[in-house]
Amino acid sequence: MMSTPTKQMGRAGARSRTLGSLGQLFARYGIVIALGLIVLALSVLSDNFLTSGNLTNVLRQVSINGILAVGMTFVILTGGIDLSIGSVLALTGMVGASLVAGSKPHSPILAILAALAVGVVAGACSGIFIAWVRLPAFVVTLGMLSAVRGLTLIYSQGMPISNLSSGFKFLGQGTFLGIPVSVVLFGATALAAWVVLAYTVYGRRVYAVGGNMRSAHTCGINVRGIIFSVYALMGLLSALAGVTLTARTTAALPQAGVAYELDAIAAVVIGGTSLTGGIGGIPLTVVGVLIIGLLNNGLDLLGISSYYQQVIKGLMIVAAVLIDKARHADAA
Amino acid sequence: MRLEELATTRSPKPAVTSSLLTRRQILKAGLAVTGLGFVSGCRNQSGKSVHRIAVPLQGMTAEFMQLWVRGAQAHPAIKNGLATFTVFDGRMDALTQANQFDTIITRRYDAIIFIPVDVQAGVGPATQAKAAGIPVIGSNTLLADRSLYVSYIGSESVISGEYVAHGVIDRLGGKGNVVVLEGLIGQSAQVERRQGINKVLARSPNIKVLETKSANWSRAEAQSLMENWLTSHGNTINGVISHNDEMALGAIEAMKARGIDFATHPVGGIDGLTDALEAVKRGEMSTTLQDANAQAQGSIDLALKVLIGPSYKPMSDIWNQYPGQLSWDDGKKTEYLVPWTPVTGENVDRLLAIRRAG
Repeated sequence: MMSTPTKQMGRAGARSRTLGSLGQLFARYGIVIALGLIVLALSVLSDNFLTSGNLTNVLRQVSINGILAVGMTFVILTGGIDLSIGSVLALTGMVGASLVAGSKPHSPILAILAALAVGVVAGACSGIFIAWVRLPAFVVTLGMLSAVRGLTLIYSQGMPISNLSSGFKFLGQGTFLGIPVSVVLFGATALAAWVVLAYTVYGRRVYAVGGNMRSAHTCGINVRGIIFSVYALMGLLSALAGVTLTARTTAALPQAGVAYELDAIAAVVIGGTSLTGGIGGIPLTVVGVLIIGLLNNGLDLLGISSYYQQVIKGLMIVAAVLIDKARHADAA
Repeated sequence: MRLEELATTRSPKPAVTSSLLTRRQILKAGLAVTGLGFVSGCRNQSGKSVHRIAVPLQGMTAEFMQLWVRGAQAHPAIKNGLATFTVFDGRMDALTQANQFDTIITRRYDAIIFIPVDVQAGVGPATQAKAAGIPVIGSNTLLADRSLYVSYIGSESVISGEYVAHGVIDRLGGKGNVVVLEGLIGQSAQVERRQGINKVLARSPNIKVLETKSANWSRAEAQSLMENWLTSHGNTINGVISHNDEMALGAIEAMKARGIDFATHPVGGIDGLTDALEAVKRGEMSTTLQDANAQAQGSIDLALKVLIGPSYKPMSDIWNQYPGQLSWDDGKKTEYLVPWTPVTGENVDRLLAIRRAG
């Protein structure tokens, strides 16, 4: 997490300092407190909530959005955005499925590698236009959203691909040491991303580019290379989510992943990563992912209409941005 | 060159007798004389006029629409060049579809086969087309104002709701707990299928509905929803009624993960998608097939009837496929209802073979 402790320490008056630090605490970890409250409320309201079966379900259900949100954290940390991930997810899922469907399936490893390669290429296309041609990320990825969805429909002729080989389906349905494979993938992705962002030179550079592009450039950081890399990484993770989703639903559907970018962005924003870049991190993104997943799960368990679910999610996003704004004001 | 075309357009053609065509010819002639004509391209190689049909449909991402287009392409009149059709992909958005109507009217298509995204929102564009003198034939989905369609061919959504509810409830012996997976709230298919399901539920006092929720027609969403329901209700859920096959297939995946036996826990869907037919074959669900092919080919016959006149004889063989239930009747009716086909263990192999051949 990036913060500016020295500035906050400079405040005069013990009373205001106490209030200020309480406010800071809430601003920084408010979302963790919210997660705790949601877990507490659901445990009280539903007998089935705190069961290992249900918690496994929640993790399995959030794993796709989780993988996407991890990639989106990198992109948003550089001050960018990627709207094309739902389309890339559909295309890569379709490519993977096409290689393992039918009577003579290829090896699932080959299918996954092919899908990941397609994802990286799609992400790299966005990256080139954003980093070197210097077009706004919003516009480039909006274009990709449409173009890649079109390619998906062309590739699939608009029809789903099913009858996937069992080796491939393992990715979405199998377990590893008792944990669903999709959850393992999400966990491993989040862990690796956290280490990279928090403890490596590359990670520091991602923060630096998002924090202040000009000074990052002055410091000798290859700003364009960093920006390009986060979109390529986003493409890779969209493809990982794509093959996982395909294996989970046991079919690649041309309309898969529509509007998934919104849930991924919501998770990142709820997790307190600033849309202007430079502030945020993986752990709180994971919290954001869990909050969205728990709301969906909890309201299903309690039999509450999905209409309310959407209202609550919307309010949480706005609240998260308000907290972010308050934090900026505090720091200034 | 324009004048030459004008001459051939005017030359007498025995088959063309309807006043509509005569009016169109006058219009074309007028346009050609003023130099604005777009007459070229309206004729096939043998020199006969080609009927250009525009097909604004809901959205090409749905398998049903793919099957519809495939059926239309296989129509004899399309194959032999008597008519051509152009698909306008509405992308499930009423506004997109309204804009496409502007294009269709400007380009002066001869007829429109309309599959509206929305029952209400389709009224405006259809009114415009009617005012512009382009006949509108409905397929698959009705309009709030039925009089805008010259004629309509589709299947009654309410009945499919009754079928799916019956299928599940009968298998349960009229007793047990069910959950209902609904389509995108507010769409006519969702509204009408719900009506049909509720009709049957009202007659089934020993069936208890534990949950009703929308999974937005989506397999992935239904899978998560069903997992959550299985958590909250455990083994008390006896059956699943789904507004479409996609969601039923999602529920099946969730149930499989729990090792639930489909012989005692029936799942029912609607549409007859290829994946669903295969699931029926494996004994995992029941479904009712909506005949996309009949709706597509039937609508082309109805359009050609309007364009060519009473002398037109239907060219599709779908009019012989449902003896006693669906007949041409000289193309005079305003509404043709294609029966639903309940898919069972007995007919599933035949239906799958037809699907694969298409």
